[in-house]
Amino acid sequence: MIFIPLIALFVGIALGLLFNQPLPGIAGTYLALACVAGLDSVLGGVRSALESKFDSEILVTGFVSNTLIAFGLGYLGDQIGLNLFLASALVLGGRIFTNLSVIRRYGITRLRDARARREMLNQDAAPGPKP
Amino acid sequence: MNPFATRSTGYQWIWPTSAMALVLGVMLTMAWITAQTRQSRFSELPTDVRDRLNAASLDFQGEYFKVQQELKSLRESFGELREENTKLQNAVADQTKSSQLLNESLQEVKTFAGLTEVEGPGLMITLRDAKNAPEGLGDYAVIHDIDVLKVVNELWNAGAEAISVNDLRVGPHTNFRCVGSVILVDRVQIASPVVIRAIGDPKTLEGALDLPLGVLAEIRQVEPTMVKLERVENMRMPGFAGSTKPKFMKAVPPKG
Repeated sequence: MIFIPLIALFVGIALGLLFNQPLPGIAGTYLALACVAGLDSVLGGVRSALESKFDSEILVTGFVSNTLIAFGLGYLGDQIGLNLFLASALVLGGRIFTNLSVIRRYGITRLRDARARREMLNQDAAPGPKP
Repeated sequence: MNPFATRSTGYQWIWPTSAMALVLGVMLTMAWITAQTRQSRFSELPTDVRDRLNAASLDFQGEYFKVQQELKSLRESFGELREENTKLQNAVADQTKSSQLLNESLQEVKTFAGLTEVEGPGLMITLRDAKNAPEGLGDYAVIHDIDVLKVVNELWNAGAEAISVNDLRVGPHTNFRCVGSVILVDRVQIASPVVIRAIGDPKTLEGALDLPLGVLAEIRQVEPTMVKLERVENMRMPGFAGSTKPKFMKAVPPKG
């Protein structure tokens, strides 16, 4: 069940390869930023699921607004001669790191819990002197 | 407690996240393909052109190259038509003495305006982008429109009678522009090496360009091989191939 997002990602990649259409001009540059925003959103979704506070509306609006803000900043940067793409990439990249580290911590905690439970069960099952 | 947190149980997060992952996959591949396409198209260009183009503008450049090719062929036919015009004028002038005189002065004016093919001694200047420019001098290592403009101006000043840039004759309306990182001569694209040829006294022309702190001194400072001067005994250059039809101006008839 938890592999479905991963499968969906590969299906998406296959669709993109099938479509095989490069974007013209400046849209291509903006698309790269949208990719970073999308990666951040997906990881954020997984993270919130692990934290048991998943909300699909927040996920979708977060993705759309992040992408739009990144585009807007990039456009503004182009206008005033400052590379604000970098600001968006930096913030979104930082969030990706944070999300991944939270997911890692959850995974490790879950593993440790499982191990501890197994040990306790073994202790219960082990024949020993009864008090 | 976090008031915004809503408890959810089970796997309800899977489908929205999966949908987003699908979109992400498509976008990633498209971004990758876009970057790949640009890179591959970019690497097929010759080095000197590649230096002048920035990868993101290539898609527009493709269209532009097509129009440029069309412009080039039109200019060629323009030159042929003008030559034919001269022939016809000569044929008409053969008939009477007065028309012969009239034609002589007409041809003189045409030569002065640079509309005819001419030949004579002169100087050939080759400007090319620096091959091993010192670090951090990127912008100075490239020949710009202003360099061409300065050289042409200096050549006129030194008494040049006819000038051509990469076999494009410099006429009365000729302009040098820089669009993106390509030099335009009368809206025709040229790239390094830029060959400027001038008909005039070779010695005087060379002296004018070789002046200390002159127009070429700055370029030579970056790399001496960017500039090459050659005296030529005799060379031909084509006539100006642009339009000469005025749109707004009218000649004022002489008084009296």
